Amino acid sequence: MSDEHTASIPKTEKSNVEVRHDRRNERLTWLIDHFKREWQIYVMLAPAIIWFLLFLYKPMYGLQIAFKDYSIFRGIDGSPWVGWEHFGTLFGSDQFVRAVWNTIKISALNLLFGFPAPIILALMFNEILNATFKKTAQTIVYLPHFISSVIIAGIVITAFSPSAGIVNTIIGWFGFEPIYFLTKPEWFRPIFIGTGIWQEAGFGSIVFLAAIAGVNPSLYESAVVDGANRWQMMWKITIPSIMPTILIMLIIRIGNIMEVSFELIILLYQPATYATADVVNTFIYRQGIQGGQYDIAAAAGLFNAVVAFVLVMTANSISKRFSRTSLW
Amino acid sequence: MSGVSIESVFKRYGAVQVVHGVDLTVEEKEFVVLVGPSGCGKSTTLRMIAGLEEISDGEIAIDGRVVNRIAPKDRDVAMVFQNYALYPHLNVAENMAFGLRIRRMPKDEVKKQITEVAEILGLTEYLERRPADLSGGQRQRVAMGRAIVRHPKVFLFDEPLSNLDAKLRTQMRAEIRRLHNRLGVTSVYVTHDQVEAMTLADRIVVMNDGNIEQVGTPMELFNNPVNTFVAGFLGSPPMNQIQGTLTDQGAQIGGHELRILGAASGQTGRDVVVGIRPEHISLEAGPETSPLPIALDLVEPLGSEALLHGSFGDTPMVLKVDTHGDVAHLSGVSEIHVPADLVYLFDAETGGAIRGQAN
Amino acid sequence: MQNMNLYSRGDKFFVKINMVLVALFTISTLYPFIYIAAMSFSSGFAATSGKVVLTPIQSTLAAYNVVLAEPEFWRSYLNTFIYTIGGTIMSLLIVIPGAYALSRPQLLGRRFWNLLVAFTMWFNAGMIPFWLNMRDLGLLDSYFGIIIAFAVNAFNIILLRNFFESIPSSFEEAARMDGANEFQILWKVYMPLSKAAIATITLFCVVARWNGFFWAMILLSDESKIPLQVYLRHTIQRLSDDEEFTTTLITAPYSVETVTAAIIICSIIPVLLFYPFIQKYFNKGILLGGVKE
Repeated sequence: MSDEHTASIPKTEKSNVEVRHDRRNERLTWLIDHFKREWQIYVMLAPAIIWFLLFLYKPMYGLQIAFKDYSIFRGIDGSPWVGWEHFGTLFGSDQFVRAVWNTIKISALNLLFGFPAPIILALMFNEILNATFKKTAQTIVYLPHFISSVIIAGIVITAFSPSAGIVNTIIGWFGFEPIYFLTKPEWFRPIFIGTGIWQEAGFGSIVFLAAIAGVNPSLYESAVVDGANRWQMMWKITIPSIMPTILIMLIIRIGNIMEVSFELIILLYQPATYATADVVNTFIYRQGIQGGQYDIAAAAGLFNAVVAFVLVMTANSISKRFSRTSLW
Repeated sequence: MSGVSIESVFKRYGAVQVVHGVDLTVEEKEFVVLVGPSGCGKSTTLRMIAGLEEISDGEIAIDGRVVNRIAPKDRDVAMVFQNYALYPHLNVAENMAFGLRIRRMPKDEVKKQITEVAEILGLTEYLERRPADLSGGQRQRVAMGRAIVRHPKVFLFDEPLSNLDAKLRTQMRAEIRRLHNRLGVTSVYVTHDQVEAMTLADRIVVMNDGNIEQVGTPMELFNNPVNTFVAGFLGSPPMNQIQGTLTDQGAQIGGHELRILGAASGQTGRDVVVGIRPEHISLEAGPETSPLPIALDLVEPLGSEALLHGSFGDTPMVLKVDTHGDVAHLSGVSEIHVPADLVYLFDAETGGAIRGQAN
Repeated sequence: MQNMNLYSRGDKFFVKINMVLVALFTISTLYPFIYIAAMSFSSGFAATSGKVVLTPIQSTLAAYNVVLAEPEFWRSYLNTFIYTIGGTIMSLLIVIPGAYALSRPQLLGRRFWNLLVAFTMWFNAGMIPFWLNMRDLGLLDSYFGIIIAFAVNAFNIILLRNFFESIPSSFEEAARMDGANEFQILWKVYMPLSKAAIATITLFCVVARWNGFFWAMILLSDESKIPLQVYLRHTIQRLSDDEEFTTTLITAPYSVETVTAAIIICSIIPVLLFYPFIQKYFNKGILLGGVKE
């Protein structure tokens, strides 16, 4: 019960200092009381908070090596500051600039092809009347989401193998020469994005199916009475009704544009395809983890994180304006 | 004595104060109903007794012991919630046993208690069922059973009947009162429904805007409301209230003279609110009545009685009359007669009662 | 609405075309699995010469014999179970009480703690500081490191916290008046009331753990500690480089492709067995977490 009723708090006749002193004492007894009574919830909270501090916030402190000449022996605190030097190095490096562009290009293509796929799939599922068929199809198309990227990569590598792969087998039926897909830069993006759609379109359709399920059925009934056909109902009722969901999901996607599933890229790319496949995170992995240039790699990571942060925050505030629904 | 005493209790949320110094004593074995519109602070007061809300200022004592800093579980009170709060994963017996188990009561003792209480509430055959498989009335009973098995000093009810349909509500209302008569446990009951308050209470506490307006037995409050708020809150339909001024004989309202017995003399010209209960008027002139013209626009037959909706001047009026088996003649009503001894007078400015009913 | 007889001729046509398209997409989702399964049971020669399309050619268990004979395969399989079970339990032990505490209105600094958690969804220090931190904590090459370092994520905590917040407070108040303390309220009231949400995050954890690859690859250099996914990756790499495997013998009973396929099938099987349970809950789960009002 929260009664919105303003009223005057009884006035005391003490001096300000006394009052302040009393308040402090009151606050202190209240706090002691509170912790005596509620200590259990703090015990429950502690492991989670300690975990966050230790595994996510402590690395943020370590981010300072992006501005330092870091050496393992001197440690984070002992390494000398170098200012923005690493960022200068990064933006002077063709590799890093290429990685940034590749990240943006892959994300943009993913947005163009990967984003509509689950929406179209959801609309198609919605038009299926046979419940058994619908359920079976859904069960199957959700499955790849739960398969690890190593397996996905294994399947892709096998399927696109020049001698044994099914893709080249089929190409062979039409009399063409086998293509060494995974070594050709021009083939990397189509394969990567196609794999993404194959893996995630089904699972991604759940959100839109739920939105469709939320459409008031009487809208369709009145449309039937008005003589609309299924195609018209889809365009005039279903799609406008789920537009808020589509917009929110789109904004989330744009906010996450710097996040490319680099696990799969690491598993699929090779030096021959770096030209199109190397993204910021794979660049960081090679420079930092494999190459040992922690400070430069950390700088690249910081750049990535800051851009991502700005994008996500912008996306969240835009979505708030659109729907009065915050994403978090 | 296991009563509850509340002494100048305040409740503030930050700078917002919602209970402004409530004083109330609930006697042992008494059934007290807190009633008022939503947001009046009645639930907050109840929850402070329960210990679910902190007391910002003042003191609450249960059974003579100040409980301000005592945890809810140690206050020896039990509460019935509006939504019952029955645990859906436990059956009826387990729901009732929950509190006893937590308190580590021996198993056979728990069983005995539950059997006994289930008997009282007629729940014996439902003990194995889950709440989802019970009707609304049965759930309500389980919620009460859960409170009863603990043998608390005080029962607290937070609008326990508001989720039931009208018929069941009437039935459960009577059941609660019977149960109280049988167990005789001090009870504090919160509702916004004045009929519930009237029918259940030994004493009613009418609250408004975080203050107590009036405390008394149902009939005291009905007959002698201290102000226009209480007058308008108790009684169904509510009392008609008309602006007027005092005269020698009674009051002048909308150009009509209303005779009022015992109207304060020597205050001629004072602005007042004249209160007329819908059921107090009659359609025929009597020895001590004054006529009032009324523009009728709707007759609602209820069976033996009918409600007449209309207006006197600009003031909407609702009246209640006997039908004597026929409502046809009621649509022609254009005049009512107000008995001089059944008129209430309130100060126009403060709303305070100037005089109550003559009897 | 679901009555086909009410449909016009155009609508019936539309529905049928749609059904065919969905069927095609479904088949193309399923096909790679069938293809890999067929591959795993084919002879090396058939696989290498591109003969496998739908069914095993020259059926043989040779690839499986190679895979199952490797002690490292079994070792990594066991490791994956350790990481999955240990990691999931660790997750639940931290996430459930944490989410509960964050959902309590009486928690002091509640907004601050919630922000502390949510902020990590928006900003992440990134790969290198995380790795250096793991090294500084001495958690490289350690079972415990893998189990603890990925135990919590903000999304799961917030998902569960939202669910806890949606439980009417009267349940908690009733339990409190019955004498339950916070642990009892969580254990005896909130957890049973949140079975679906807890099942959902459990499944998220299990799937994430089972599939976890990248960090296991980076943090574990001791071959005896690597999980199945990393083993699979190593094996694919090793076989591709291996002289013996790259020469194509007509008589080869197995090849890179068939062995890879066999390992893939072996590591998919537990997921498939677990899948029906996942299915039951993820519909709810993804919606729980999706958009908060």
